Amino acid sequence: MGYGDVQMIDENGIRVDGRKAGDVRPISIELGVVPVADGSCRMTWGTNEVIVAVYGPMEAHPRKIQRQDRAVLDVRYNMAPFSTSDRIRPGFNRRSREISKVTSDALESVVLLELYPRSKIRVEIEIICAEAGTRCVGLTAASVALADAGIPMTDLVVSVASGKINGVVVCDLNKSEDNYGEADLPMGILPNSGELSFLQMDGDLSQEEFQEAWDYNMEAAMVIGGYCAEALKNGGYNL
Amino acid sequence: MSIPLVPQLLRSHLIELAENDQRLDGRGQWDGRDVQLEVGILGNAEGSAKVRMGDTIVYAGVKFQTMTPYSDRPNQGGLMCSAELRPVAGRQHEPGPPSPESIELGRVVDRGIRESGCIDTEALCIIPGEKAWQVILDLYAISDDGNLFDAFALAGIAALRNSVIPLAKFELGEDIPLDVSKTPIMCSYHRVGGRYVYDASGREELGGDERIHITLGADAHVHSLQKGLKGTFTAGEFAELMKQARTKGDELRDLVHSLEGGN
Amino acid sequence: MKGWSVARPDNMSGKGNAAGPHDSQQAPLLVAPGEDLGDSEGYEVGHGVIVMDGRLRATKQGQMKKDGKSVSILPSRTKYFPRPGDLVIGLVEGCTNNIWFVDIGAPFNAILPMSLGPAKMEFGGTRSVIDIGEAILCRVQEVEETHSSVVTMKGMGLRKIRSGTVEDIDPHLLGRLIGRQGKALRQLKEDTECRVVAAENGRIWIDGDFEGMLEVRNRLRKMTAEAKAATPGGVA
Repeated sequence: MGYGDVQMIDENGIRVDGRKAGDVRPISIELGVVPVADGSCRMTWGTNEVIVAVYGPMEAHPRKIQRQDRAVLDVRYNMAPFSTSDRIRPGFNRRSREISKVTSDALESVVLLELYPRSKIRVEIEIICAEAGTRCVGLTAASVALADAGIPMTDLVVSVASGKINGVVVCDLNKSEDNYGEADLPMGILPNSGELSFLQMDGDLSQEEFQEAWDYNMEAAMVIGGYCAEALKNGGYNL
Repeated sequence: MSIPLVPQLLRSHLIELAENDQRLDGRGQWDGRDVQLEVGILGNAEGSAKVRMGDTIVYAGVKFQTMTPYSDRPNQGGLMCSAELRPVAGRQHEPGPPSPESIELGRVVDRGIRESGCIDTEALCIIPGEKAWQVILDLYAISDDGNLFDAFALAGIAALRNSVIPLAKFELGEDIPLDVSKTPIMCSYHRVGGRYVYDASGREELGGDERIHITLGADAHVHSLQKGLKGTFTAGEFAELMKQARTKGDELRDLVHSLEGGN
Repeated sequence: MKGWSVARPDNMSGKGNAAGPHDSQQAPLLVAPGEDLGDSEGYEVGHGVIVMDGRLRATKQGQMKKDGKSVSILPSRTKYFPRPGDLVIGLVEGCTNNIWFVDIGAPFNAILPMSLGPAKMEFGGTRSVIDIGEAILCRVQEVEETHSSVVTMKGMGLRKIRSGTVEDIDPHLLGRLIGRQGKALRQLKEDTECRVVAAENGRIWIDGDFEGMLEVRNRLRKMTAEAKAATPGGVA
């Protein structure tokens, strides 16, 4: 089946899961879910479920990975074997490596690493159940877990993806929309400054559609940023 | 896993506690931590369970694949069990290829379930010699505060017992529940401060010595045994552990069955 | 660009901080990292606060404190960060002929040079004085900008810990344990007839009668549980 062959949005603009174009799937945030970690967060977003644990800052071993001027941020994104419809074989995976790297780059932009020279901060992102947009959930949950660990940062990072289905630009693609959609634009937004620290895109969007997707992401990130802040202040958030 | 440094003070304190019949968290010698068991919690797995024992938290997920049966067993499917000790579970767990510890962990749990015969591998055959189901049980630790063995074994059998063979997904008919005829239960004992205790915590494991894992079925048949780490034990000690494992095993088996309701 | 306090949806729990951050309110003002705390003009920044583009901004999750002209965050949770003069309990992780490497629960290990050790000794005799895996009561001598810290065992009461047990609590709970002018800690020692040394890095050395030690540990556990229950989300 090619792009656009499946009708995913009706004449009233209602999507397969009942959302309107600009709506985000339901989100819940729970803190302290990994009791042995220094900070942790469980985030559900639609049927995505992600657990993030933060360890550190701590002594960086081995010595050769130490940086004299700042801490090393060691971010790992990993999907549990049972997280998707087809089992994922554990072990090396190019997709996970790339997502780990861009997530790390996005977080390095907000964490005050220079306060902890020669240390290491480990961020472990585990996808327990995947629907669509796991990299966005992972990045958002990681920034909340870092805050839960008391690691100083200039802002949170909220990540959300908009895309296009049946020629209509919509916010926060679910699984079937992601499979049959025509474009996907995930962004990582700093909710207080409005700056971006993460950006990817694939598919086909006109300049106007791109702007529309961008605006949806910005709007959604502000709302989700509010949920994250609320979760950190009140120990959790449940929509 | 990096080799954790054993604080000598912890060891000497554990000996003092054992001499006074006490444990670090106030439990009795054969007491376990509170167990929370949930099943059917993961949307993308054909069977799933989550176990929390104190601050130890693990998930188990079951997936099905089709396989070509082995030529010497053309009418049998397969069961595969793998344990992953991801670095998320604790400071001491380092990233990298599977450690000998996590391989041992997976294999001990695997043997207990496989050898109990709870899954009829012949029933997993679709077309003899051509196609059969492979049941894959993945064990996943989220937080390691000791005794991952028992947590994995409990989550594993509970996940299998609530699994559904996804016939529809493979266009082979309607989904049917996986038939699991038995409920093998593992009980693990660590030597801490010179004596054996049940369900050691992370600190007890750190300051303790050898461990013994016993997997029993409902009829008290023994399905797997494993002795791990440096240390020796006597026949008398082992007899006591076996006795304790029978009582504890029945208790945990009831817990697993209680979640299955009218089935 | 708007901050999220503006974009917050209406169905939120109503604990929003609609009032300006500098307004003194009866309830403590909770903040999350990145939150704007108002114009920096005329304010000094304390712990957990930075100035960006002329605005005060929180870098940690916790309670905002305003003390005169100084704005700071009392973090909900934070790692121990060594300062010179701190009394800490260290665990010896390794050694060379003349240096011990000591884990003090900080982002970086400390070193204990032979010259600051507990006794006069020969070059190469470090392990015979303090072995790997042993615990020591020591004091932070200096912390360099690049975080190499040095601890010393020269001083009153500093020693190798040979008996009792060491328990960990989150460093931010120390205030609760010690109490006003040390009252709570004194009471604990009297009640249990134990030696209780609360080190700045959250490690508590308990030594004394066996039953007393159990009692101290029970109370520590109770205190941690209460602190967790008092603040949602398992953080205190």
